[in-house]
Amino acid sequence: MDLQNLLVISLGVIFINNFVFARFLGICPYIGVSKQLDSAIGMGAAVTFVLTLASTVTWLIYTYLLSPSPANLFFKLFGGSAPPDLTFLKTIAFILVIAALVQFVEMVIQKTSPALYKSLGIYLPLITTNCAILGAALLNIDQGYTFIESVVHGISAGIGFALALLLMAGIREKLEMAEVPKAMKGIPIAFIMAGLMAIAFLGFSGLKLGN
Amino acid sequence: MRDIGKLGGLLLLITTIAATALAGIYNVTKPRIEAQKALELDRALTIALPAAPREAIFPVQANDDILYYVGYKTPEKKELIGYAFVSHGPGYSSLIETMVGVDSLGAILGMKVLNQVETPGLGTKVEETRHGEGEPWFTQQFLRKPAGQLAVDKDGGDIQSITGATISSRAVVKSVVAAYEKLLADRVKQD
Amino acid sequence: MSVTSEFTKGLYKQNPVFKQALGLCPTLAVSNSVESALGMGVAVTFVLLCSNSIISLIRKIVPAKIRIPIYIVVIATFVTIVDLSMAGFLPALHKTLGIFVPLIVVNCIILGRAEAYAGKNNIGLSIIDGLGMGIGFTMALLLLGTIREFMGNGSFMGIPVMGPAFEPVLIMILPPGAFLTIGFVLGFFNWLENKRAK
Repeated sequence: MDLQNLLVISLGVIFINNFVFARFLGICPYIGVSKQLDSAIGMGAAVTFVLTLASTVTWLIYTYLLSPSPANLFFKLFGGSAPPDLTFLKTIAFILVIAALVQFVEMVIQKTSPALYKSLGIYLPLITTNCAILGAALLNIDQGYTFIESVVHGISAGIGFALALLLMAGIREKLEMAEVPKAMKGIPIAFIMAGLMAIAFLGFSGLKLGN
Repeated sequence: MRDIGKLGGLLLLITTIAATALAGIYNVTKPRIEAQKALELDRALTIALPAAPREAIFPVQANDDILYYVGYKTPEKKELIGYAFVSHGPGYSSLIETMVGVDSLGAILGMKVLNQVETPGLGTKVEETRHGEGEPWFTQQFLRKPAGQLAVDKDGGDIQSITGATISSRAVVKSVVAAYEKLLADRVKQD
Repeated sequence: MSVTSEFTKGLYKQNPVFKQALGLCPTLAVSNSVESALGMGVAVTFVLLCSNSIISLIRKIVPAKIRIPIYIVVIATFVTIVDLSMAGFLPALHKTLGIFVPLIVVNCIILGRAEAYAGKNNIGLSIIDGLGMGIGFTMALLLLGTIREFMGNGSFMGIPVMGPAFEPVLIMILPPGAFLTIGFVLGFFNWLENKRAK
C-alpha cells in the first residue's frame, strides 16, 4: 500500500480541492446549517459518516456491477462474450444507493443510539440531496481511484467539508453581534465571508504534494 | 407487509422502465461519443504532424498501450515524416497533457495541449489563442525547436514563459523534454 | 391564479437562486463564463421541463410513501439523457461542465418543484412552472456569468470587450469570485426590496 499517495489524496481534498471552497459541492447545507457551532458539528459529522459509507458502496457497485471490466459480477455469473457495459446507469444507481443508505443509517442510529439520533437525526434527510455525497462518488470514478483511495477520498472530503462548516459557523456566531448593513444581513454576508475564506484556501493551491 | 411488497414492486417497475429507456438512448449516443473521441485524437494528430495525412499516421503499441505514433507522407508508409507522442507533467493545479510531433531529428513539427485545469487567466494561457490570431501563441514558439533541449527563458532557454504562470510554462516544457527522451528509448526498443 | 403569473413567478418573485437560495452549487461552479452558464441553464431547464411533465402525469398513481424515490428515478433518467447527449454532440461543453452535469440530479430546484408543484398540479401548469423556474435559474446564472467573465477576463462569450489596456480582476473567475459576486448580488436585491417596502 502506497501510504504517501493516500496522504496526497487526503490532504489534497481537505485543503487544495476543498469541496466547499474550490469545487463548490455541498453549498446549500453549507450556507443553511452554519449559523450555530452545535448544528455545524452535527452536520459535519453526519456528512463525513455518510460520505465515507457512500464512497465505499458506490465504488463497489460501479466496479462489480456497472463497469465493463472482467471483474463484473454479471459477467462472472452468467458469462457471455464480453462484460456488459452498464455505465449509463451510474447516476441513477448512485443516487438510489445514497438515498437508501441515508434511510438505513437513520434507522440504525435511531434503534441503537437515541442520543446520537437526537443530535444527528435531523440532518440526515437533508443529506440525500447534498451534492457533496454524489459528487465524491462520481469523482472517485472519474479519477480512477482504487478501492482504498476512494474510501480515503470520501473520509477526507467529509473532513474538509466539516472544517469549512466549522470555520464558517464560528465566524457567523460572532457576526450576529456585528453591525452589518441591513441589506447584507444573513445569506449575503455569509457568502462574502465564504469568499474571503476561499481566498485564504487559494493559498494552498500551489502546494506541491508528492513529486 | 403486503403493502411493502406492492410499493417495492412499483418502484422496481418504474426503475426498470427508466433503465430500459436509458439503455436505448445509450445505444444511440455511444457511437457518437466514441466518434467524438476519435475526432479529438485526429485533430491533435493533424496539428502535431501537419505534413502527414491522418491515414498515414500509425500507432505503435506495446501490449495494449500506445507508445507513440509514426507519420508518413502516404498511407503506404513511404517517406517518414516524424513521430507524435503524448506528454504529461504536473502543472500548478493539474496534470497538463500535450500532443507533440517531432521529425526524425527531434525538431518540433507541431503541438497541442490536450488537457489542463490550470488557474483560469494565468496557467490556462498555455492553450490560449489571442483574439484575432489563428494559433495558440504559447505552443507556437515551440515549433522547429529541438525537443530534447527545450527550456523556459528563466532557465536560460528560449521559450518565453507566461507572465504569472512560470510553473505551468515550465511544466509543459519539462514534460515535452521527458516524453521526447522516452520516445527515443522506446524507438530503440521497437527497432 | 393566472397562467402568466405561474410563469413569471420563477423569473423574479420566486427566483430559485436569488429568492429561494436553491441550486447554489452549480450556480457558483459554472458561472465563471457566460458560455458555460448558458449551457448549464439550458440543461437544467430541459430536465426541469421533462421531470415536471412526467411527474405531473403520474401524480395520481404514485403512492405518497414512495413518491420521493420515484421522483428521483424520473429526474435521474432525464439527467442521464442530457449527460449522454451532451457528451455525444457538445463534447467541449461537456468537458467544461464536468461532474456538474450528472450532479443536476441533486439540484434542489428540480426535486423542489416536483414536490411543491408538479406533484399537485396538472401537466399544462407544471410545464409552465418548469419553464418559468428554468428560465429564472438560467437568468441568474447568466447574470453572475456576465459579471464574472467581464470583470475577471474582460470579455463576453469569449470575445474581448475591454481592449488590451484592461487589467482583468483575476480573482473574479477563480472560486472566491463566485462567492463574492453572489454575496453582493443578493445584497443588492435585498437593498432593492427594502427600498421598495419603504
